[in-house]
Amino acid sequence: MIYEICNFLYPLSDIFSFCRLVNYISFRAIMSALTAVLFIFLFSRRFILFVHRNCFLDQVRETGVHSAFDKRGTPTMGGVLIIGAVLVSMALWGNWQNAFLLCSLAGMLWFGLLGLWDDLSKVRMKSGDKGLSERLKLILQGLFSLIFAWICVGPFAPLGSAMATKICIPFYKYPLVDIGPYLYGLFIFLFVIFISNAVNITDGLDGLAITPSIFVVAVLGIFAYVEGNRIYSSYLYYPFLRGAGELTIFGAAFVGAGLGFLWYNAYPAQIFMGDTGSLAIGGTMAVICVLLKQELLFPLLGGLFVAEAITSQVQDKIGVKWIGRRIFYRAPLHHNLQHKGIAETKVVIRLWIVAGLLALLSLATLKLR
Amino acid sequence: MQTVFIISGIFVLVLIAGFLAAKRWRGIGRGQTRIVLSGGGTGGHVNPALAIAEAIKGRDPGVRFLYIGVRNRAESVIVKRAGYSLRFIASEGFPGFRISFRLLRFLFMLSIGIAQSIVMLCLFAPKWVIATGGYVSAPVIAAAIILKKLRIASVQIFLHEQNSIPGQLNALMGRWVDKVLLTFPQTLSFFPKNGAVVGYPIRHSIVAIPPDKARENLQFKIPPDRKVVFAFGGSQGARSINRAVVDALPFLLPHRDRLFLIHGMGLASMSEYDAGSDTEARIEKTLSPADRKLLDGFYYRQDYFHNIAEVYSVSTLVACRSGAGSLNEISRIGKPALLIPKANLPGDHQVMNARAMKSAGAAELLYEDTIMEEGQILEKLDGRMLAEKIIALIDNPERLKSMSESSRHFLKRRASERILNELYGETRFNGSDSNNSTPFKDLTSNSGLLQMLGAACAHMGREFDPLSVVGDPDDLDYYRHRAAGLLSHKGWEDRNLGVKLIGLTRYTEKIPTLLEMLTDRTPVNRARKLFGGDYQQVGFIRRNIVQALRVLDYFDPDVERGLFAALNDRYFEVRVQACITAAHFGRSIEADPKWLDALMERMADPCFEVVIEAAKAVGEVGVDQRAAGALLAIKEAHHWQVRNAALHGLKRMIDRRAIEASPDLLAEMSAFILTSTDFKPHFAIKETFTALQDRCAGSRADQNQESRLPAGKAAGKLK
Repeated sequence: MIYEICNFLYPLSDIFSFCRLVNYISFRAIMSALTAVLFIFLFSRRFILFVHRNCFLDQVRETGVHSAFDKRGTPTMGGVLIIGAVLVSMALWGNWQNAFLLCSLAGMLWFGLLGLWDDLSKVRMKSGDKGLSERLKLILQGLFSLIFAWICVGPFAPLGSAMATKICIPFYKYPLVDIGPYLYGLFIFLFVIFISNAVNITDGLDGLAITPSIFVVAVLGIFAYVEGNRIYSSYLYYPFLRGAGELTIFGAAFVGAGLGFLWYNAYPAQIFMGDTGSLAIGGTMAVICVLLKQELLFPLLGGLFVAEAITSQVQDKIGVKWIGRRIFYRAPLHHNLQHKGIAETKVVIRLWIVAGLLALLSLATLKLR
Repeated sequence: MQTVFIISGIFVLVLIAGFLAAKRWRGIGRGQTRIVLSGGGTGGHVNPALAIAEAIKGRDPGVRFLYIGVRNRAESVIVKRAGYSLRFIASEGFPGFRISFRLLRFLFMLSIGIAQSIVMLCLFAPKWVIATGGYVSAPVIAAAIILKKLRIASVQIFLHEQNSIPGQLNALMGRWVDKVLLTFPQTLSFFPKNGAVVGYPIRHSIVAIPPDKARENLQFKIPPDRKVVFAFGGSQGARSINRAVVDALPFLLPHRDRLFLIHGMGLASMSEYDAGSDTEARIEKTLSPADRKLLDGFYYRQDYFHNIAEVYSVSTLVACRSGAGSLNEISRIGKPALLIPKANLPGDHQVMNARAMKSAGAAELLYEDTIMEEGQILEKLDGRMLAEKIIALIDNPERLKSMSESSRHFLKRRASERILNELYGETRFNGSDSNNSTPFKDLTSNSGLLQMLGAACAHMGREFDPLSVVGDPDDLDYYRHRAAGLLSHKGWEDRNLGVKLIGLTRYTEKIPTLLEMLTDRTPVNRARKLFGGDYQQVGFIRRNIVQALRVLDYFDPDVERGLFAALNDRYFEVRVQACITAAHFGRSIEADPKWLDALMERMADPCFEVVIEAAKAVGEVGVDQRAAGALLAIKEAHHWQVRNAALHGLKRMIDRRAIEASPDLLAEMSAFILTSTDFKPHFAIKETFTALQDRCAGSRADQNQESRLPAGKAAGKLK
């Protein structure tokens, strides 16, 4: 809103010349991050009270790990706060005509609502294992992925038809390879489903999902800045994506919201993000990655999420359900570490370190090739 | 616009056709009575239908019948021979609600069958539709219900259920039909609104014959003053019963002066099982020639008894399957029964029938095992158990007397008349006898049982007793046999469940089978191997076998050998469980150097979980400085749990007085690295709340007691 107002005001008179600031992405990014943090600080205590009074509390779950104390009764659905903060911040500082921004917001909202539904049904069923059925969740995620994949490779591609079906390979000098609309569409479809579930699986310990997400989105924001800037992108041999800079602002708002949320979510947590948060974060990250053509970077950038998802799926689908044995001691990864006798806080901090290192390494691909 | 016309045209046509059909139906209904019969698949469903038809014919000779069945099934032979006009429709057995190709095919066949039935019903315009269950009748009933709901058919629908637990389709459709005619009073709980207990209709009813007269009519002579036991497995014969009878002979021979055994082998003469020759061969194998001579005048066998009423009449005890037909015959003659329900039937309806008769006090039960023999899944009944049960019953004449009394009243007599009564809406039998329905205790599914017993076992520990959880010894016996049946399934999940249940039901007789599975080294296929699979008895099964051995709490040299094998298993969880189980049997293997060596070897295991449990087990088994030294040696282990386990083991050794607590030992133990990567958080507010919670819950329990206590005492307690 502020973006629109300022752009309307500053040509009118010299008095409003400071309004030109909104044309600097860096300024808007900082402001949006601050707005998001402020939003969370203002509303989270009230939100936690609200959630508590309505008994939207975390339910028991069968994880196979003896938790030091049971986390039953912690308010959940904190994802609503994160989504709210990003929405408000983008409402103030975003450029509403930007297709990149709209796609990311749509992804966040769709997955957020899906997660909200899941959380509410878990509360209703009084069990952490009985939310929406896995099948229904996959269908709804798949529906969004399908539409999104079609938008990306179809006639309304935000990247323009020249770029639409190309994929970017990291560590490679001339990175763009055209793989055709069908293959790329299928790839996007699977990618979005995989990433959103990966974050969902990672969200198992206090603060474990949010900090690595902040790292990932921050790095993606930097990529967006580079790819949205004609000079930097040509200097770094990246494809120039007109308007991608808007995602930097989105990313900044997200980082701000994440930091604000971590304030309350750090061990011992006062609120969990729930499926509302984890699915929304996953969906957003996946959508941004696709829009910035950094899908193939994600296994490195979000290596933690990928590892969590793969350990969990391999253990469950191959080990327990098919060949009839455990392949890891426990799954996903963070439960395995806990099972080895590492305290929750230590596991979380160690995995933060890993996620931070991976983020740095991914940032290096800007120049390393 | 055109489509609207076409659609409304079709609609009007259908409406007119329906109207005409309804009018014709009513017109025919005023004239001659027409009846549609349906049901089949097996003779057990067809014969009751024909019995009902005969009863109707007896009262009302002008009735026209139409039998609707499925091609190439029992009805296509029996009904044709009985001379009723027969039509065929498409139908298929219900495969269960799980989405599969078979379910799709079933739905397709069902809709075709319903369409065919609708046409047939409209053309024939019956007054009654009488169905006797089996999947054959499902489309017919569905069609009749649809026509009735659409007000096209002025038809009454009757459903006869032969078994104590209705089949899935009958249970579903029963609520829309006019009347469900039941055999067992217990089934009333399924159809409280429209159920009526009538019994089991048969075509030529058998009647009790005075024993003396019956003895004269028999082709064989029964010496006087003998208790007669009649064992048979239905008209075709049952392999497991035939073999068990032969196996029981050596145990029954000592009682030959007061016992006579009649054995109906059955007519089965297929390539896979020939009742006559198989029994012959088994007798030669089981009994020595001298013993075989003794059989004369004690044991008589025949493939089929055409005069079964006479055989029943001379018997003191009948041992047989618990199909609805057999139970009806036994109840008609009023004999005590030893029932051997056929295992692995859909819905286990023979088990349910048998339990119904048992709860009426008319029968005792024996369950058969399911085993793998030469790659074949067979039912097997233990001959010795059969013999023991027979002797126990024969030696208890009072029990036999009360059983035959209960048997006589178990099922309703004059079923055909009762059915006619229901059909013609008369009230002849009303009030003459009450429907004394004693509902069953439902049997629990395997997974439900696992949950129930697992929770009890975790709660009670060593005092765990499955009988106190299940309640009825016969039910426990049934669960045990059902669990054992799972062991021969193809999918490993079922076998795994079976292993767990055998442990939790304390089925000690199956330990040899478990041990055999534990060391079975049949490899899995290549695809599974690629992902880390090893043997057919997958890791989970082996792990749960070792766990079950602990729950079974039974130790002998065979178990010991099995545990040794498990200690060196390829899968880490098996090794873990083997160590825990070794610790469990610590008393039995204490000071055995073989065990100490094996456990100390495990302390060098690459998997830390195994090391932990091995260290704990060494603490239970070790008796000397060698064990203590091994525990002290892992003072610098990477995982704190391993170090903790070693200290724990040392503590146990001191507690068991295997080593002496001394300053020297303390000095050695001080070298342990005591840092840990884990800790237990302490949430004061949660603990306070929990304490309050306990107090509130406790006071609720107290309140009940306090009402009985004097006021002063109650007040004192509140402090």
